[in-house]
Amino acid sequence: MDKNFKEEKFTGITKFTPPLYRQRYQFVKDLVGKYKPKKVADLGCADCRLLCMLKFCSCIEVLAGVDICGSAMKEKMHRLSPLPVDYLQPRERPLTVTLHHGSVAHKDHCMLGFDLVTCIELIEHLEESELKKFPEVVFGFMAPSRVVISTPNFEFNPFLPGVKLFRNPDHKFEWTRLQFQSWALETARCYGYSVEFTGVGHPPRGMENVGFCTQIGVFVKKYPQTSASTPSEKPTEAVYKTVFKAVYPSLKDEKYLQNAVVREVTFTAQIIKQSLLNHLMSEHGEYNDDPIKRKSKFQPSVNCFSEDLGKLVVEKSTESFVNGNMVYIPLATIFSFPRVNRLCGTFEKLRKLVAGQVTLSSDGSAVMLSTEHEDN
Amino acid sequence: MTGRARARSRGRPPGQETAIPSVGAASVHQALAVQPPGRHQPHAHPSLLEEPGGRGRQRAPQSVPQSQRLQISVGFQELSLADRGRRRRDFNDLGVNTRQAIEHVQESKTGTSGVMIKLTANYFRLTSRPQWALYQYHVGYSPEMEARRLRSALLFQHEELIGKTHAFDGSILFLPKKLVNKVTEVFSRTRNGEDVRITITLTNELPPSSPTCLQFYNIIFRRLLKMLNLQQIGRNYYNPNDPISIPNHRLMVWPGFTSSILQYEESIMLCVDVSHKVLRSETVLDFMYSLYYQVEEQRFRDTCAKELIGLIVLTKYNNKTYRVDDIDWDANPKCTFRKSDGSEISYIDYYKRQYNQEITDLNQPVLISQCRRKGRSMMPGPVVLIPELCFLTGLTEKMRNDFNMMKDLAIHTRLPPEQRQREIGRLVDYIRKDDNVQKELRDWGLSFDSHLLSFTGRVVQGEKILQAGNMFDYNPQFADWSKETRGAPLICPKPLDNWLLIYTRRNYDTANTLLQNLFKVTPAMGIKMNKATMIEVDDRTEAYLRGLQQSITSDTNIVFCILSSTRKDKYDAIKKYLCTDCPVPSQCVVARTLSKPQTAMAIATKIALQMNCKMGGELWSVEIPLKQVMIVGIDCYHDTLSGKQSIAGFVSSLNQTMTRWFSRCVVQSRGQELVDGLKTCLQTALRDWFKWNKYLPSRIIVYRDGVGDGQLYTLVNYEVPQFLDCLKSVGKDYNPRLTVIVVKKRVNTRFFAESVGALKNPPPGTVVDVEVTRPEWYDFYIVSQAVRNGCVAPTHYNVIYDTSKLKPDHIQRLTYKLCHMYYNWSGVIRVPAPCQYAHKLAFLVGQSIHREPNLLLSDRLYYL
Repeated sequence: MDKNFKEEKFTGITKFTPPLYRQRYQFVKDLVGKYKPKKVADLGCADCRLLCMLKFCSCIEVLAGVDICGSAMKEKMHRLSPLPVDYLQPRERPLTVTLHHGSVAHKDHCMLGFDLVTCIELIEHLEESELKKFPEVVFGFMAPSRVVISTPNFEFNPFLPGVKLFRNPDHKFEWTRLQFQSWALETARCYGYSVEFTGVGHPPRGMENVGFCTQIGVFVKKYPQTSASTPSEKPTEAVYKTVFKAVYPSLKDEKYLQNAVVREVTFTAQIIKQSLLNHLMSEHGEYNDDPIKRKSKFQPSVNCFSEDLGKLVVEKSTESFVNGNMVYIPLATIFSFPRVNRLCGTFEKLRKLVAGQVTLSSDGSAVMLSTEHEDN
Repeated sequence: MTGRARARSRGRPPGQETAIPSVGAASVHQALAVQPPGRHQPHAHPSLLEEPGGRGRQRAPQSVPQSQRLQISVGFQELSLADRGRRRRDFNDLGVNTRQAIEHVQESKTGTSGVMIKLTANYFRLTSRPQWALYQYHVGYSPEMEARRLRSALLFQHEELIGKTHAFDGSILFLPKKLVNKVTEVFSRTRNGEDVRITITLTNELPPSSPTCLQFYNIIFRRLLKMLNLQQIGRNYYNPNDPISIPNHRLMVWPGFTSSILQYEESIMLCVDVSHKVLRSETVLDFMYSLYYQVEEQRFRDTCAKELIGLIVLTKYNNKTYRVDDIDWDANPKCTFRKSDGSEISYIDYYKRQYNQEITDLNQPVLISQCRRKGRSMMPGPVVLIPELCFLTGLTEKMRNDFNMMKDLAIHTRLPPEQRQREIGRLVDYIRKDDNVQKELRDWGLSFDSHLLSFTGRVVQGEKILQAGNMFDYNPQFADWSKETRGAPLICPKPLDNWLLIYTRRNYDTANTLLQNLFKVTPAMGIKMNKATMIEVDDRTEAYLRGLQQSITSDTNIVFCILSSTRKDKYDAIKKYLCTDCPVPSQCVVARTLSKPQTAMAIATKIALQMNCKMGGELWSVEIPLKQVMIVGIDCYHDTLSGKQSIAGFVSSLNQTMTRWFSRCVVQSRGQELVDGLKTCLQTALRDWFKWNKYLPSRIIVYRDGVGDGQLYTLVNYEVPQFLDCLKSVGKDYNPRLTVIVVKKRVNTRFFAESVGALKNPPPGTVVDVEVTRPEWYDFYIVSQAVRNGCVAPTHYNVIYDTSKLKPDHIQRLTYKLCHMYYNWSGVIRVPAPCQYAHKLAFLVGQSIHREPNLLLSDRLYYL
């Protein structure tokens, strides 16, 4: 035991699993999962890695990144663009991703109204003058409900091999826990926030007293939304330069909603039609050759890979009927399928969305499909 | 569907080819991989491939990697190379200068015959300022900096020196202006406080037409397209904001553009064409559901496996593509797996945690993909995929064969000339109206013409169809003579003395009706016909095969099978048996095709013609003045699904009138080379020619189809020498003249004919050998077919080797004549008949037979 520990002490901790940066991002992600903020900004977003992870969070509707280095952002910003799959299956809520080129020492109107602002490994890169303005910009001006600030814990450095003074030559300072906490408490007090301290990157066993490798402060606004005071301060003109903006397709957009509904209705109708025709055929089939084979065919499936939909389709197909070479599938039947239901919400909405997009019976109550075989 | 129709729906009579955009999953993948913009930075100098941060773009021939120097035949190199698809190819075949070796076209490569016609093409001239030049600099760092991002950041600290307009890839810098000094030294400081000396050395002053400049133009143009917010997929750019949804088939179509800038005959031009990307808005799970209701329960898993394995799927969370190799029915999303850190997690939790993806169906099986690529950060071993989270990509063979689907798709993708021109114009409009784009262009000193290129082409004289002493003219507008020649006797009718008609009990009436109809239509053609031996079988594959085994004799002329459904396995089994073990020509027709009374006679006529060809008969011919010439057609078929085999079809003429054809094919499994196979083909073809004619041909003209973009170099340097070798080996005094012509159907070039203020398709017989051809090639375009809707696609012919000394006009005319000789279509087709025959052969073998057919059939068109 003792020996092991000693070795660890000497070699230092070379690696965290998962890597420390990932643990920091996961920390933010967990926070997002817990509080479901709608508008999130990442200050010092660099290569947009955190934003990339956050764009998968369905609760977020506005995502913004700010960095002083335009080229770093530009290099990887295209990974924030919507992908073909985002168009194939649009999100439920809207999402706009914007990247701004600018300094956290400056106020810009576009940074107002956020629910969560993250500053991951940011403050230690700030010059003294910038650091001085930082609390006023983030806590005073932006005044989001929550702020997450992470920064290296100086006390941990002896355990990191190869680190002489600071972990990165660009760091202007690295704080001990006491230094960070007193700065944070003072800031919180000043702008009406409460703050809790935690961190990621556990120290080696027996050395717990040095604290986490990365220290994190989570600030929560004490009096939610007294935003009336903020705009009264003369809104500054736009000092940030927008370098990137992507609007994701979403079901809030009528165009995409209609596409999705029509697709789902057609899909459901086709499945019901097939099930109905199979059923009719198997009844006919009694007279045909090979009755044993056919009979077994449409027994309610035992090992069907999805029983729910299977049952539903068999049940529901009876509500539909064949007339001539047309199959009529009532819209109401289609509406009872969970995916259609979830998309439209109300039956009226369904009728409105499919009107003119799908062939309906003359009274508009049923979807009509031809029984003709697909290939002619 | 008849056997013919089956193949046709894929290898449709070329005149009618539906121009459906390819949906290559691989290309989706390429595009989707999130690329740093730097990827499109110029790399001009092959030698710079070694530079840090430099990912070189392939440029033939200087930088052909060693692996390509192996003897590999074109069209197959990709499949035989281990590292296929990893290298970037030069899709424009730059640097392959074949014209310089062909003496008689040094002065001129243009033809003369025909009537002039005013044409426009989808090309725009690129113009640059007078005395324009591009300045190429080498940028060095001291101390050496590795990271490309850092290198750019350090360099652009000196923007006041360099200017805002630049292209930089980490070592090569392009500027539109000349710096004051040839060598400029500047100093930058890194964030670490390290001082770096940067040396910017002028290495080149490039004139507008230099190859490096061309590459550079394309890079800049791509930059512009990106600025217009178009999404790159593969080599093309699409506009995702206006998708066309086709819910019946669960497809989504993105309109977009394909573009390239190249040096053409007279000037540097931008070629723009409309492109459509078809995406499938269907997850694998959706697909499984709908399949479940289409097939019997006990066949469900098998069918699923058959339909899904080999497909490429796109995962919705990370936008990667995978090939489905297996389906694990025993697993489901609740199962757990071990993560790289050793912890155990279920798929549901993993996807929830990692990507916020909710899996709703907990009973679905999982897909297995074997990761083939090495060198990625991925863990080795199989990848498990959840059907609900995977989108299907690409149109399957089955979908392409779905007539209704292709029709619905064609409404959106096949644009008539006027509309196509409008769409093309839209891109130019976008460019002209976007301020940022205009600024970028201005800064580089470049601009594009706003009008389509116009020039004159020629329409060569129509051909006369010769059929047993009769001569027919046809309406050149339609390029079809089925009406004119109906009921006329054939050049060489083959009697149906002894033939089998196999059917199932249910199709007894159909069989009899067909027989009666054949009796009605054959006499006029001159075909003598006896009543067929009627064989009734059960509707099972084995029953058909047993029927064949018991009834075929050495006298059997042909076998006629009426199939009850389009099920491929039965068709395959019959064809395989009759092409290999028991070589007899065969005709398979689906009963439904014969069942419509209104078309019954027309169908019977077509079937009679086709059967006649399959038995070695001849239908019609055109005048071919050239004597002692053997025409060869080659095409390839790649079995992309199982990825195992490639097949080359080889067809060569046997007589002066080009009415009889010899055929062979090469079945090549992965890792083998095609060239040896082709040599053997050519040897046997010459032997057969000799048997028929008692002398050897003095000229051989090879039409080589199935050559992909960027494969020209290999073709010129490996395949042609092999042909020459083969000819040398025939005999010491034998020294025929050889011409090799590369045939390319998939080109982005479109021609429009102006007629009374409107744009129309150019008429069949239009030849273009000016303006849009390439100066370093002996090439031309022919529009040979007519299309009823959409835009006609010209075929590109590139004469890469020619000792024939034939005038360009003669080569063009001969090529056009050969487009009249495809017996499965009484009209002009897109490619010379031998190419289409070779295609049909390769397709049949690749789809159904999977090995070389019996050589006893080789002098007949049994594969039609």
